[in-house]
Amino acid sequence: MQLVTKKKLGLCLGIFLISTSAYSGGDPEYGEYLSAECVTCHQANAADAQIPSIEGMSEQGMIGVLKLYRSKDLDNQSMQTVTMRLNDEDIAALAAYYSSLPTSE
Amino acid sequence: MTKMNRRDFTTGVVGLGAATATLITPSYAAGKKPRVVVIGGGAGGATAAKYIAKDSKGAIDVTLIEPSKNYYTCFFSNLYIGGHRDYASIGHTYEALASKHGVNVVHDWAMDVDRAAKTVTLASGAKIPYDRLVISPGIDMKYDSVNGYSAGQQNKMPHAWKSGTQVALLKSQVENMREGGTFVMVPPPNPFRCPPGPYERISMIASLLKKKNPTAKIIVLDPKEKFSKQALFTEGWEKHYGDMIEWIPASISGGVKNVNMDTMEIETDIDTFKADAGSIVPAQKAGTICERAGITKGDWCPIIPMTMQSAMDENIHVLGDASVASSMPKSGFSANSQAKVAAMAVRAALTDSKAFPPRFANTCWSLISDNNGVKVGASYKAGAEKIDVVDKFISKTGEADDMRSATYAESEAWYSAITNDMFG
Repeated sequence: MQLVTKKKLGLCLGIFLISTSAYSGGDPEYGEYLSAECVTCHQANAADAQIPSIEGMSEQGMIGVLKLYRSKDLDNQSMQTVTMRLNDEDIAALAAYYSSLPTSE
Repeated sequence: MTKMNRRDFTTGVVGLGAATATLITPSYAAGKKPRVVVIGGGAGGATAAKYIAKDSKGAIDVTLIEPSKNYYTCFFSNLYIGGHRDYASIGHTYEALASKHGVNVVHDWAMDVDRAAKTVTLASGAKIPYDRLVISPGIDMKYDSVNGYSAGQQNKMPHAWKSGTQVALLKSQVENMREGGTFVMVPPPNPFRCPPGPYERISMIASLLKKKNPTAKIIVLDPKEKFSKQALFTEGWEKHYGDMIEWIPASISGGVKNVNMDTMEIETDIDTFKADAGSIVPAQKAGTICERAGITKGDWCPIIPMTMQSAMDENIHVLGDASVASSMPKSGFSANSQAKVAAMAVRAALTDSKAFPPRFANTCWSLISDNNGVKVGASYKAGAEKIDVVDKFISKTGEADDMRSATYAESEAWYSAITNDMFG
């Protein structure tokens, strides 16, 4: 199956917490602007939906997952296309913004 | 008062790479808020009104003009025809735009735009002044593009291309077709709203007939030689509906010569097809208000990719189906994406907010049969002449059932998210 469920997302997140060196210091205001593209599909409190809520994800976790989509190591065509044009600064900004929001559910 | 012109705006944006730029603030007199009027409350207009109101935090007065109190989305209306959604689930109101975001929602028709005076005239006669105008009226039909078809008789073979009651009518006509009857679909010529839409509609009607009237036939008299996601639809039609669907391009039929709305006969070079039910979707053009405003070139409105401003008037932004936003298709997702670009440009022009380089995206999901979803999509950037593709994708033929099922579930989650993004 192509899509990443919340469970899988959690797994990726765990892996990245261990293996990735931290890049932080993203600009949350720029991240908020970039997030306008995310909210067309990702909704807060989407507990059972095929597209997971991403509010309150950990900063490092989100950086890790977005980079995995960008390198096509995670398999959703929409996410690969969206992340292809995100540079490291964009990803850090998105992670800084989303990690600052209260977790859904 | 000092106004920022388009050149100032684009110059401000071009030099900044991924970083941010603070643009020149126009000197609106203290206490006099800039006014934005938005015409059309669909995927473009509702999103633009919400984002301008929400992100300006009360610094801009936003008025949305939309005749419908209950708005039915075109996207997912085919799923209602196929029995996968109920009618109420594709309907939305403007309650949250008004109560949560402070948008002044006016249920009326915009009849005219006076670009010199910068006012919009409503059907009620009221004139609403603007500093910036956002026009997102969607499409209107060119009824005379199909000989014999007319607005007065459209209900006999409804185009149902603006959702709402016509879609409910079409569904009931398909359900009440005689056993073994013929449904005739005439898709529109390019360019038109929702490129995969006619083919998803054919799929959903086939899905309905397979369950209720399995000996019925569907004849598609297409003015085109190819269509969106063609390989995916063709594969799915053969696999799930056998020989129920016959797609006939204009190179074979010679095109539709005439439609007799009394006898429901559709004449082509090869045959005259008698329909028991049908849907004729004429050629399309930008919503009529665009002609009234004088911002069309041919049937559509040319735009500046960086800001979605009209190429003919820097105080007007045109969104969605009415605009020439190629390479983006005319879709709700595209309109929603363009609205955010325009909202940012409007705020930057009227307040001291930052402007970032615009980013556009689109995905079009289609349902071919039960739990069998496919998608096509792309990301885009503003080029000098048009909106250029950065990267694109499409579902593959022969995909496993669980992937198709996941794609369908993804489309349902998207519907919930985008309608919340527009109306919530």
